[in-house]
Amino acid sequence: MVYKDGTRAVEGISFSVDEGEFFGFLGPNGAGKSTTIKVLTTLLRKTSGRVSVSGYDLDESPNDIRRSMGVLTQETSLDVDLTGWENLHLQGRLQQLHGKQLDERVSELLKLVQLEDVAKKPVGRYSGGMRKRLDLASALIHNPKMLFLDEPTTGLDAQSRTAIWEYLEDLNKNHGITIFLTTQYLEEADRLCRQLSIIDHGKLIAKGSPSELKKALGGDTIALTLGPSVRAKAKEVLSTIQGIYSVLDSETGVAAYAKNAGQIVAEVVTTLDRNDIHPSFLSISSPTLDDVFLEKTGRRIRSEELLRKETEPFLM
Amino acid sequence: MGIPYDTESLFQRGLTKMIRNPTLLVTYLVEPIAFLVLFSQMFTKLGEFLPSTAGGYVAYLTPGILVFCALIASPQGGVSIVNDINSGFLSKILLTQSSRAAILLGRLLTDVSLSVGEAVITIITAMAMGVTISTGLPGVLLIFLTVAFFEMALSGLFLAIGIATRKTETLSAVSGFLYLPLIFLSTAMFPTSFLPGWAQTASNYNPVTYIADVARELVSGGLNLNTLVEGYALTGVIALVTFAATLYQFRKVIS
Repeated sequence: MVYKDGTRAVEGISFSVDEGEFFGFLGPNGAGKSTTIKVLTTLLRKTSGRVSVSGYDLDESPNDIRRSMGVLTQETSLDVDLTGWENLHLQGRLQQLHGKQLDERVSELLKLVQLEDVAKKPVGRYSGGMRKRLDLASALIHNPKMLFLDEPTTGLDAQSRTAIWEYLEDLNKNHGITIFLTTQYLEEADRLCRQLSIIDHGKLIAKGSPSELKKALGGDTIALTLGPSVRAKAKEVLSTIQGIYSVLDSETGVAAYAKNAGQIVAEVVTTLDRNDIHPSFLSISSPTLDDVFLEKTGRRIRSEELLRKETEPFLM
Repeated sequence: MGIPYDTESLFQRGLTKMIRNPTLLVTYLVEPIAFLVLFSQMFTKLGEFLPSTAGGYVAYLTPGILVFCALIASPQGGVSIVNDINSGFLSKILLTQSSRAAILLGRLLTDVSLSVGEAVITIITAMAMGVTISTGLPGVLLIFLTVAFFEMALSGLFLAIGIATRKTETLSAVSGFLYLPLIFLSTAMFPTSFLPGWAQTASNYNPVTYIADVARELVSGGLNLNTLVEGYALTGVIALVTFAATLYQFRKVIS
């Protein structure tokens, strides 16, 4: 996908998602996640390649795709002048529902996302979490087989985020809805997705289930908090210890990777002590998806999250 | 289902939003009364120079207020679509099975209904001020149709500008620049004989003149077929051009 100004947003990616899957696209901002989801959901015309969604070809039957999918865009797109009920009702009408069937579906969804009490209030008076839940309900109005979610919890507080996660898990497990989700949150990808693709600079860099991806790293992380002056020395010393196969810089010091970190941690401490290096903090952890990203790109997702820009309108 | 159903859905949304914004609604609905009373007082002396068939200055001014109010209301649709683009709501509509044309038609109908509402108030006010509509009820209905047609053409223009620029500031600048020349270089407020030669020429090429003349014919003339056909044909052409421009811009957004 190449934009008019020549930016190559996504290039040479290929993947498939099975029916009933919970599939995630993990990557930092600007990786190409939103571009991919815009192409898949018919909002953006791709410059080359082939896409098929729910068995329909993107170029030939975009309206069939629109009928079979629900989309939750990154920014909450509701009409703040209308009530919750009116928003769902309008969305239902535009998805070609009508009459009693539509009224019943609206009530059912308001109940599902626990907004029945405020259904008659204008959305302008809803909190961020309530709006996101209503937006999710509106994406489900026409009983789609597939749900696309573009960073569904970005900007939400922890409680609202957990609520959205629970709804999504329920929809996937108990209603058989295939879910395609993009996220920059490691925890979200780890908890929800059964299959994951990691994307960076418009290219797919890893594929697999979260546990497979972590296992492939093959070891634990020993994170050491150290002052900048001793980091180089620490890296040199640590790499001589048997069992440690890689030592990398981290934001607060260095990170050493080993198969069974618990068994060599004593040696790590004594070796550093002998060399007059005294870490102010030491922790051992099993690999995370962030380690997977670090291994593939040499950067961490976490630090990039902090530089996150304001979300832009979904439509380019 | 299809275009009529989607248009109705979006038209309903437009009306609901308008009703939920009482300041805007009251401003627009009070405007015709205020302008008709104010301008007829300010320019009352002009009545002495009008031919006796004109039915006095209030009758002469009534069509002018009809077109003036339609002009002022016309950027509303453009503003709404810019807001919908920037809030992401337009994307949400585009992600549904809704007909694409209905998005524009629903918006045009909302604008047209606001203008026709203003026209109803203008005519009632004029009648309360002693104006007799010489063509009777059929004429009054034709007046509303004229205003609806005119509004559709204007609204299309601002929809096109709105979609192209995606800035409400641009819409208010463009509309602010257009109103006064379009109104004063036309027959809306006073006969062209009051204008200098060059302005008379400009007035002859100003579409507002033709619309004002049609409405005036209906208020104080008769059902003169030539004037009606000329006016409607011109408005129809403008409406087609602005709608085509809007569609052209819109296609760029949705593809």
